[in-house]
Amino acid sequence: MKILFIKLIRTIWKTKGQFLAMVSIVTIGISIYIAITTGFYNLRHSRDIFYQENNFADYYFQVIKAPEKITNKIEALPEVQKVSGRIQQDVPVIKNDKKRGTARLTSYNLPIDKAVNRIQLLNGRFFDENPLSGDIEVMIDPQHLSANNLSMFDKITIIADEKQVPLTIVGTATGPEFTYLIKDAATLVPDPQKFGVIMIPTIQAQKILKMDGQINQIIVKFKPGIDQEKAAQKIEKILEPYGNLASFPREQQLSHAALQGELDGLLTTSRFLPVLFLLVAAAAQFVLIRRMVQNQQTEIGILKALGYSGRSLIIHFTGYALLVSVVGIIAGIILGLIFASAISDLYAQFFNLPAAIGGINVKTIIYSIILSLSTGIIAGISATLSIVKINPAESMRLKPPVVRSHSLLEKWPWLWQKIDTSWRMGLRTVNRNRIRSTITFAGVVISVALLVISMFMNDSIDYMLDQHFNQEVNYDFMVRFSNPVKNSELGILYDIKGVNKVEPLLEIPVKIRYKDKRENALIIGLIPTSGMQFPVQKNGHKLSIPEEGILLNEQTAKKLNVTVGDVITVEPLINKTKSKTRELKIMGINHQLMGGNSFVSLKQANQLLNEANTANGAMLKADRGKFSLIEKELSNITGISSISSRQSERDNFMSMLDSLIYFIGIMLTFAIILGFAIIYNSSILSFNERRREFASLQAMGFFKRDISNLLLKETVLEAAPGIILGLPAGYIMAHSYVKSVSTDLYSMPVVISPLTYFLAALGGIIFVLIGHYWGIRRLKDLNPHEVLKNID
Amino acid sequence: MKNTLLDIVNISKVYRMGEITVEALQNISLKIYEKEIIVILGPSGSGKSTLLNIIGGMDKPTSGQVYFYDQDLTKLNDQGLTRYRRKEIGFVFQFYNLIADLTALENVELAADLVENPLSSIEALKKVGLDQRKTHFPSQMSGGEQQRVAIARAIVKKPRLLLCDEPTGALDLETGKKVLSLLRKINEELQTTIVIVTHNSAISFMAHRIVRMGSGKIIEIKENQNPVLPERIEW
Repeated sequence: MKILFIKLIRTIWKTKGQFLAMVSIVTIGISIYIAITTGFYNLRHSRDIFYQENNFADYYFQVIKAPEKITNKIEALPEVQKVSGRIQQDVPVIKNDKKRGTARLTSYNLPIDKAVNRIQLLNGRFFDENPLSGDIEVMIDPQHLSANNLSMFDKITIIADEKQVPLTIVGTATGPEFTYLIKDAATLVPDPQKFGVIMIPTIQAQKILKMDGQINQIIVKFKPGIDQEKAAQKIEKILEPYGNLASFPREQQLSHAALQGELDGLLTTSRFLPVLFLLVAAAAQFVLIRRMVQNQQTEIGILKALGYSGRSLIIHFTGYALLVSVVGIIAGIILGLIFASAISDLYAQFFNLPAAIGGINVKTIIYSIILSLSTGIIAGISATLSIVKINPAESMRLKPPVVRSHSLLEKWPWLWQKIDTSWRMGLRTVNRNRIRSTITFAGVVISVALLVISMFMNDSIDYMLDQHFNQEVNYDFMVRFSNPVKNSELGILYDIKGVNKVEPLLEIPVKIRYKDKRENALIIGLIPTSGMQFPVQKNGHKLSIPEEGILLNEQTAKKLNVTVGDVITVEPLINKTKSKTRELKIMGINHQLMGGNSFVSLKQANQLLNEANTANGAMLKADRGKFSLIEKELSNITGISSISSRQSERDNFMSMLDSLIYFIGIMLTFAIILGFAIIYNSSILSFNERRREFASLQAMGFFKRDISNLLLKETVLEAAPGIILGLPAGYIMAHSYVKSVSTDLYSMPVVISPLTYFLAALGGIIFVLIGHYWGIRRLKDLNPHEVLKNID
Repeated sequence: MKNTLLDIVNISKVYRMGEITVEALQNISLKIYEKEIIVILGPSGSGKSTLLNIIGGMDKPTSGQVYFYDQDLTKLNDQGLTRYRRKEIGFVFQFYNLIADLTALENVELAADLVENPLSSIEALKKVGLDQRKTHFPSQMSGGEQQRVAIARAIVKKPRLLLCDEPTGALDLETGKKVLSLLRKINEELQTTIVIVTHNSAISFMAHRIVRMGSGKIIEIKENQNPVLPERIEW
């Protein structure tokens, strides 16, 4: 047995190139598995601890105003475990640079311990509800603090009830609902400079917002195992008299949805990518070991004649695959843990999770070992079973030429005759080695598909950016007012130097009902001739805004199960005293990549609020060079609650994409290694088993480049269809990936540019050529007189 | 007056195998004339295959010159030697070495494609009597048939020199004789010079000249005034 092991080690040394190629595929598969799965478990674990420690709410109820005591009534319900009432409202912030930002003012009662959505202090100290200094003490989220260069005991000024109110920062804190801080579903990435959370004592919030003894949000934690929807309906009934504006479960809470989306994506990737790599590795090992058994028939016969059992020889050859797995596992674990810590670091930056996110997941490592060893063993044993059948006496005799047959194409002689002899050789080789050719083909398909997938996200994001920032919106600034204004008052905006065009806008949060279904939505009223915002269809075509009726957002339409022509009931959630519930006919379905707004005409929007010619926002078009000045001027207007600039939103988005480059780079590298390894293995096998044939061609007068071309043709026959099919396969894989990670709030279009297809195909051609020429590099040592040596 | 096709002048070949040097050929000189059949006889290890390799442009001597007409083969690089093999040499091997993935006709065509003015491939197959089996693969043919395809493949290029390395070594007597008759026929009809390397002395009866080798040296060169028809040879 020891001798057999020595033989195994020598075989590996002799085929070290192939051995390493297969090890690299296993290494990649295992390292991806470990990195992503560890990332997944760490992120989920850290999230779960954070949620649990801080009583993350199951359900959110938004009302106009309700007495604080209402929480007692809700807490009395049998389904409810815990309730907190609080004030949460977005308010304008005047920043140090005099520009506007938005703060989500969120109130808490002390002691905080029992609160739902409790917060954790990160730095400084908790606020004092009534400090002797008379200041209003607050905590803010750490991102907002550092993005705006603020420090402890600095003051920040908010505008509340049309007055500037200075607040003193005494600490930074975070909570389970603030892990990924975005303002609304239309904002995909955080902008900590312009948006932050201010945590304030409830009593102070009530004072500055003139809401004494009142709250506007109830957050609930249910007992485990109850029907949450039913319980929510009971609570809604209790809140009915107080203007129940909106209610939504945890799944629709923005930061939770973002975190969950990331987790889902990780899980999909962790299941799908490593399996692909391990399958390819197993297939490549199967082919190589089967070929080794075929080539070493005589040796196997001799060993059997000496008395080695078939089983011990199967173990010997399977040992090759096993060693590939073992070396692959070791390298994969090391690489995987390095990647895992990088991923965990990235998440620690990306999400505000205070619990330590690092750590090694032993279960993952054990799984990866089992996964890789079992694929290796299966590949090895299935490739070596034929050993049992080898007859020692027969195997030592001279073998007749391997049986060849006509390929399918030869049934059409008119076609076959037109094919050059060297191509015929290639076609027959492919036909003869069907299993190997299929595996090579499949390996190329997978590699090229991975190349497409690596690059498609970039295309999709480019498309989203272009669609949103160039097609759907055309304004330079959008401002929102604290209170609705008459259209005629918008003139003040024209007076700002550099502003060329101003259009009114009326945004109304509404509740839409259709039959027994209901959905919260945001309706935007625009002038029908708007040149600032354009609702579009799914195919990108612009929709015109109807004078009457509504262009309903696709997501909302899907949830309500309605279509064009249906009539929905729209209940505005602002100005409750004056506004009217109306029936609106759906005139079209609009598609939005970011956010889920529906559109009506400005007139229709005014009718909903029972107003005429009012607006609560405006869109501005301005001279490019004067953006900064205009933003400052706008910030000086007290009636303006928020200012958003298309340019800075876009820039912020772009800056978040930097890390994508690393992801793309790593994926591309992996895809190319996979493709290279597969082609290299197939080429070297093809070359080695036919050395003699090629030597005789050389004796006949073939140049080495002729033989090289001959081999290339074979590779092309296997690889070219693989490259071609890899492109649509990439498209399909991208679709299924996106489908698996899409949520109500986030969905990504699958857009793959012709350039990506071109680059993926080019990448495919490059790895095929490199793998091929590396595989047949021994051709230069081929000697024509090898052919004269006796056949062994 | 016979024209010299190949002039081998005082060549030696030394192989270095690890720490041992093997003198495969020692100061060999030999002229090969146009249109003759020459048999090189010798036991294994006598250097005959090394000599054939050098004649065929597959190997170079360590010292000495080999002239093909005026051209010194020892001065040619790899490319030059390949061109020489392509244009001037036909090879017939002991184990045929047909391309397993090509049919009989395609194996011949493969060689025909290498030169500018070859025989017609089907003509070549006809000459070896296998035109009826042109669509068969090597695995579907007997050893003798495979060897005949190999001869067709060698002569389709119209080489001036046909080199045969133990052409009957893997064949039974009757089949072997058929192959030798075919070689003789080719020599007569196409005027091709044929060098046969073998350890089977019976074959030498069909040759015009016989070269006997042993231990890397030429022991004797004998003219055969009355070559025997291969059909009459027995061994």
